[in-house]
Amino acid sequence: MRKLPFDTVLIANRGEIAVRIIKTLRELELRSAVVYHDLDAGAPAVSMADMAIAVSGRTPVAAYLDAAQILAAAREASVGAIHPGYGFLAENAEFARAVVESGFAFVGPTPESIDLMGDKIRARNFVQRNGFPVVPSAIEEDDPASFIQRARSIGGPLLVKASAGGGGKGMRIVRDLDSLQDAIAQARGEAQRYFGDGRLYIERYIEKPRHIEVQVLGDCFGNVVHLFERECSVQRRFQKVIEEAPASTLPPGLRERICETAADIARAANYRNAGTVEFIVRGGEFYFLEMNTRLQVEHPVTEMITGVDIVAEQLYVAGGHELRFSQQNIVSTGHAIEARVYAEAPERGFAPTTGKVLVLDYPSGPGFRIDSGVSQGQQITTAFDSLLAKVIVHSSTRNEAALTAERAMQELVLLGCETNASFLARVLADEQFLRGQVHTGYLDENPQLTAGDSASDLSTFLAAAALLTRPVRDSADAVPELHASLGGWRNA
Amino acid sequence: MNHVFELEGVDYQLWLSRCQQGYQLHLGDEVLALLTFSHQGDGRGLLTIAGASEPVRFAIDGDTVHLRIRGRTRILRYRDPLSAHGLVNKDAGHLVARAPMPGVVVKTWVLPGDQISEGSELMVIESMKLESVIRSPQDGVVDQIHFKEGESFEHGAVLVTITEEGH
Repeated sequence: MRKLPFDTVLIANRGEIAVRIIKTLRELELRSAVVYHDLDAGAPAVSMADMAIAVSGRTPVAAYLDAAQILAAAREASVGAIHPGYGFLAENAEFARAVVESGFAFVGPTPESIDLMGDKIRARNFVQRNGFPVVPSAIEEDDPASFIQRARSIGGPLLVKASAGGGGKGMRIVRDLDSLQDAIAQARGEAQRYFGDGRLYIERYIEKPRHIEVQVLGDCFGNVVHLFERECSVQRRFQKVIEEAPASTLPPGLRERICETAADIARAANYRNAGTVEFIVRGGEFYFLEMNTRLQVEHPVTEMITGVDIVAEQLYVAGGHELRFSQQNIVSTGHAIEARVYAEAPERGFAPTTGKVLVLDYPSGPGFRIDSGVSQGQQITTAFDSLLAKVIVHSSTRNEAALTAERAMQELVLLGCETNASFLARVLADEQFLRGQVHTGYLDENPQLTAGDSASDLSTFLAAAALLTRPVRDSADAVPELHASLGGWRNA
Repeated sequence: MNHVFELEGVDYQLWLSRCQQGYQLHLGDEVLALLTFSHQGDGRGLLTIAGASEPVRFAIDGDTVHLRIRGRTRILRYRDPLSAHGLVNKDAGHLVARAPMPGVVVKTWVLPGDQISEGSELMVIESMKLESVIRSPQDGVVDQIHFKEGESFEHGAVLVTITEEGH
């Protein structure tokens, strides 16, 4: 085992990703510390970590965003490094800078890389300047007076986006260029309301694109490799639901070009540590979308096909080591699928669900991996992201992986809080999904997958509930059989 | 007698009667027989309907039965016939705006004492990435805001109380 300049790492995160990072720290014989908000006191990460330090905030989320408290916790636990996980402060350059200035190693890219690649427009301009493909676009700030004219010359359909935006807000699709002016006014109003920033940009709207992303790893000696691509096209409201690696039905030539482009972009940016370069792909064309300067939720599918522990590599890079493999050493084997189990009801418009976890039984078997952030007895609230667990399977072929993942969704038992597991099972068994014909509009075009069949097995459930409910059974037991048989028409 | 189970907002009336060594379920015009349920411990059981058996995972939490059968999970609430039920939306001249789903308050647009009219924006709430606006169901005066910005609430929680004008 290679020596690291730190023996304790603070995880500035919660849920499944905190658990996942602790597992690697244990394997590397490093000590783990976590920060936690009171609502997470019963969470598995808190009991698994060698040290847990409480943080507080105006809201539970604010506690995990409080850099000052996190740095104080790092000093208290005498850690040498801080891993930000994903979300929260993971892509906050100020935080990364403060971590480094406080004398800790930041398990992630340099603050400069986050500044450059974490900002959508800056990253896009950088990528374009370096000769990589981006979607044709017009940025208002470049010259506000000619904005509409420049947008028109791109040709429709167009997508109006908020510069400060994300999560689908301030976005408008324009198919008829005559309505462009109206769409700009609406998007600006929305952007102003949600982000306090009405700046816009407009790009060519790519119909039914696939979302393909590439895992990259760089060290501080200028070495950069890619760990192949992931397909993340199964999305709802820009939220990924099922991810897989490799991307099915990508022609081999295209696959290689996309992966190499991603590594070249990371190299041009002098990128170090783990990152993901996202592309949209349509036909044989692909365009840079954005770069995520952190570990991603769906990183396990890449780990399954390559055998690389990405968190371990992140720690070695943060500890100043050179990458221990070159591009030729990285081989992709078989097919991996990840299904995200959320506390939500797809059948009711994906409304978040809450409750206490009464029974929790994960499927197991060869090729299964469960990254879970919950345990039995835990209260699920809406205070945090609704991701409960990720079920990842690895098989020799895509069809086999889909079948195994579907079976896993059938076998997973989580009682006490509704989840999207049945919905995931429906998608994994869907013909179109199995043929690999997915794009980012796939779930919207197949509303039956979301709706499910609300009536199926209804009487079976009611029978079980009736037999398990004492007063219902008691009132049957109290009536002699002869009277009961008259009940049907007596009640009518 | 009829018993009521609520499932996803719908009430189902049913009753059980004894039948041979088990029970039969009366559900509208439908009769299911012969039913037995054998407990296997640890929230596991075997439901048998007319000779066909299904493994069942279950958890009972007060009046709520959580069931997993054939890879599907459902939550059924037993409505105790003795307890009063139903949400009261209007009491003592107060109107209440309730949370349609659990979430977090993003912004409140009004203060207690504010005059509001039907359709006025009261509050912006967020459930996951979806924001929605809670509007006033009618003209009135804001009486109380029950959650501050950033606070989270459960399904059905009273968000804003409104006094009808003149009260």
